[in-house]
Amino acid sequence: MSGSRTSGTIKYAMDAAVDGMWHARILRSPFAHARIKRIDVSLVPDGVVVLTGEDTRDLNHYGCQIADETVLAQGEVRFAGDPVAAVAARTRREADEALVCIEVDYEELPAVFGAEAAVAPGAHLVHAQHNVSENDAAYFGIRPINGTNVCHKFQIRHGDIEAGFAEADVIVEETYRTDSAAHVPMEPHATLAWWEGDRLEIITGSQTPFNVRMDLAIIFGIDQEKVRVKCPPMGGSFGAKTFIRLEGIVAALARKAGRPVKMVLDRSEEWQTLNRHPATITVRIGAKKDGTLVAKKVTCLADTGAYADCGPGVAQKMGFASPGPYRIPNVWVDSSCVYTNTPPNGAYRGYGQMQSIWASERTMDLLADRLGIDPLTLRMQNLLREGDAYCTGEVMHDLQLEQCLAAAANAIGWHEGRKGKGLSLLIKGMQTPSRASIMLKHNGNGSYHIECATAEMGQGAHLAIRTMAAGMLGIDVRHVSISYPDTAISPYDTRTTSSRSTHMMSRALAEALKDLRLNGIDVGIGEVRDEGGLNPDTGQGIASSHWHQGAAGAIVELDDETGLVKVKHLHASVYAGKVVVRKAAEMQNEGSMIMGFGTAMFERIEIADGQVTNANLSDYSVPSIADLPKMTHDLIEVEGALVHGLGETALPPIPPAIGNALQTFGVRMTTLPMTPERVLAAIDLRDGRVA
Amino acid sequence: MIDRGTEWFAPTTRAEAIALRAERRDEATIVAGGTFLGVLMNNGMIAPSAMIALRDVEEFKYVRVDGDLHIGAMTTHREIELHPLINRLWPSLSHMFSLVANPRIRNWATIGGVLADADYASDPPAMLIALNARAVVESRRGKREIPIEELILGAYHTAIADDELLVEVVVPAGTEKAVYRKFRTRSHEDRPCVSVAAARHDGKLRLAVGAVSPTPQMFPDICAIADGRSITSEMAADIGRSYADSIAPLDDARGSGAYRKRVIAVEVRRALEALAS
Amino acid sequence: MKTTFSLNGQQVSVDTDAGDMLLHALRDELHLTSVRGTCGIGLCGTCTVIVDDKTTASCLIPVPMIAGADIRTIEGIGNDPVLQAFEDAQAFQCGFCTPAMILTTQQLLVENPAPSDDEIDAALAGNLCRCGCYFKIRDAAKLAATALAQRSGA
Repeated sequence: MSGSRTSGTIKYAMDAAVDGMWHARILRSPFAHARIKRIDVSLVPDGVVVLTGEDTRDLNHYGCQIADETVLAQGEVRFAGDPVAAVAARTRREADEALVCIEVDYEELPAVFGAEAAVAPGAHLVHAQHNVSENDAAYFGIRPINGTNVCHKFQIRHGDIEAGFAEADVIVEETYRTDSAAHVPMEPHATLAWWEGDRLEIITGSQTPFNVRMDLAIIFGIDQEKVRVKCPPMGGSFGAKTFIRLEGIVAALARKAGRPVKMVLDRSEEWQTLNRHPATITVRIGAKKDGTLVAKKVTCLADTGAYADCGPGVAQKMGFASPGPYRIPNVWVDSSCVYTNTPPNGAYRGYGQMQSIWASERTMDLLADRLGIDPLTLRMQNLLREGDAYCTGEVMHDLQLEQCLAAAANAIGWHEGRKGKGLSLLIKGMQTPSRASIMLKHNGNGSYHIECATAEMGQGAHLAIRTMAAGMLGIDVRHVSISYPDTAISPYDTRTTSSRSTHMMSRALAEALKDLRLNGIDVGIGEVRDEGGLNPDTGQGIASSHWHQGAAGAIVELDDETGLVKVKHLHASVYAGKVVVRKAAEMQNEGSMIMGFGTAMFERIEIADGQVTNANLSDYSVPSIADLPKMTHDLIEVEGALVHGLGETALPPIPPAIGNALQTFGVRMTTLPMTPERVLAAIDLRDGRVA
Repeated sequence: MIDRGTEWFAPTTRAEAIALRAERRDEATIVAGGTFLGVLMNNGMIAPSAMIALRDVEEFKYVRVDGDLHIGAMTTHREIELHPLINRLWPSLSHMFSLVANPRIRNWATIGGVLADADYASDPPAMLIALNARAVVESRRGKREIPIEELILGAYHTAIADDELLVEVVVPAGTEKAVYRKFRTRSHEDRPCVSVAAARHDGKLRLAVGAVSPTPQMFPDICAIADGRSITSEMAADIGRSYADSIAPLDDARGSGAYRKRVIAVEVRRALEALAS
Repeated sequence: MKTTFSLNGQQVSVDTDAGDMLLHALRDELHLTSVRGTCGIGLCGTCTVIVDDKTTASCLIPVPMIAGADIRTIEGIGNDPVLQAFEDAQAFQCGFCTPAMILTTQQLLVENPAPSDDEIDAALAGNLCRCGCYFKIRDAAKLAATALAQRSGA
């Protein structure tokens, strides 16, 4: 498997090909909000298939959590980049040239930008009404507020917030903002589709084969069994390739063209396809003089763009992560997912956690300053310990927060002077409820084959699953093979997200092996289900069946005159439970830290009047090998512990560790990324200079 | 793939190249290294119907020192970066070229190409201005020399006439010391937010600020206060402030105009301190 | 127009427009899917090929520019110590940037057989790996340097 990556013979969705396939391109709206008055395709050359809203009128609304999307715009576009028409032609160039031949008349309409504006009274509505999706990705109590731009509002009501603040000796309040960021998987989105009679075949780069199948069945009004989704390995995803992206358009084009159609996005289109939620988060925290936390009130606004995608889930996780890994008797959280007229935002490595940890952990250091208590001491004093209840009411077990935090503090020499150093701590939930199944087949010659729907995007899940199976079977990993997801063959799995696959599949595998041995046949099937969920009005219940835990430390230098921050050292300590494949686990940590570094320092989508103005890799910068500070990390293991997922844990704590390090220079950062320009503004504030 | 009939000319001699240029003028796009042109073509910003590639004109590929440094227009960034003689005699020039993009681009991008493109965020123009360099342009009408500060007229706009080719860059002898500072706000791979090139040339100071305006900014009147005097830290700060006051920087993803103004004052001062040290 | 060049030691011809880029000739005409390319501006590095012993952004170079040139892709490097070093260091996750990363490392080691960390970074800075395998890639470059030194010393 790995050999094909170095030799270049591996085939991604971008490389998929079948005989007679045509190439597709999308015509996108130039306006953030407009009515389509007329589409004229008469100049499109013969031999090119054109698809417009007219051709897709019979198709159903879809969306993984809110059914707010149509395959192509139906008379109205809601963001600059919203697909208006699509074409398929013999070559990509012909398809490109055909796009220019389509004339569209628009009538521009007022648009709303920024979540704060979108929740203000009288804001124009991006969608008139919000219908919860029938897709099983809408797995929790989604609370849309019709007549507003809020498509989900999640609340935590724990203890008595007013009484809590009344008890506090010190109260700190601050508002934080995080900009949108791009996933930038090296392989862009790519999908190939064709119809065989009334059956739809799809080859697509996706982390969510079963959710894609479900939404395609909804769109075309056919049984799920008539849709087959195959997911070859992806050239990276980081959340970008979750739920439906191109599949609906490509399938509809293939239906009209009567032949296979393939679409690979241009790099620039990636910024119009799915980004990370910008967030505005206000935190108010109260503590006793001795540092005991007594109350915390948080308001989160997650800007989900023009279509909800999994924004409700992101807002929910942002909400229940925002109290942080601390014992706080009185907690009040409102977290809203808000529509605006910008490109859709969805799953992004860390899933809302990065935004809320930025706010929450920066506030801890502001509070520590006000109390005159060392930030490490303040955290140690309040962190959750075995048997403590979280603000959701669930009792916490298998907690290694203290060990993670101590390791991070030691790694950056916290006790040898604090100047330029910062720490942060997190717990992160896993998708709950969650269901995983796996099939283990004995080939009869001592070798085994695995079928499961875990997608491979570079995270190494396939090697981890094979390694675990080999360990259980007592054979060499070379004798265990695994297939890529194929909904016609793979047993059901929720999806490959939220760092759940290695953990869930390790348990499902144990069940499959038991089944194989008990039934004495050549096939064993194992399934595990984790139940849970939260009441959306009170936030009480089971947020997560399994908690990821981590801490980070940073050492920085600051150029006071330009605001340029030089990160000297980053450290992440992550609770791994039990490491399955060491090098792969290390790279998950390192990759998360590097992405966290980019998010902390410079990654930022610039949007002006709804238009992304830096949709290319020159104007949107991502970290290169020459940017890396010294980076170290731990994978903390505990004897007898379960395997914990590692795919995201080391990302969210990086930005606040750096922000907290800057605070030792009196520079109080509230907005991500911490561009030199923003840091200089904070220095001006410190020095009493008015810009 | 479909042949759309784009014409391709690959002259092998200087005379042939100049004749083709005169004949086709702006109907044909000149291809030097191709790296910038490729970006424009891939983004649909230009779709040339004819191209004249200079890659086979060996006469445009040379580095010669006769006191002055003569660089043939088709010399690549990488060749300049690694050239032993340039490294010894004009180390700041080699250093600056080593900071442009990545080795893959520097293997193809040429000194003639980067000047003829006149992109505001490129590194070489400011450095070449500080080094008092001039471009040699040639047509069937003859040759003329243009100082680099007069070559670049605006964003993507040069003084090269439609029958002329940029054939050589001359960096004159007499530079005592030169400094190039590339201030980046994001990745190492980013283009500059502000670049500062400063040189002492025959006792005179030449300082150009790049990436902040459509053309590199140089103010001889401000530089004049350093003529014949050693640069003190006070003088460096004064010149930095004066440069910042004189420039109305643009906004882009690398920083706002207001931010750039602040950085110009600091980076100009730092460049001068490095020049004085 | 027809352009002839050497690809991994074999003479090949492609029929393209003069304005078509080398990347498309390699991917679409010659079906070398190891050559990827995703940004169209020479920045991501996944389209890197070796042209006459120089790393080249194939997405930016019009096909006729490489007439008569000697082009090498990962398919042409065979059982190379650099490729083996990437395997041994497990210096990849999704693998999308890997062939280009190996070619760039190979070319670095031709020019500089014993690079420092900074020199490795300078050579590879233009090859993006979004998975963030950079530390293992550095390890692979050093492992390859050692292997090549041993081979030439043997």
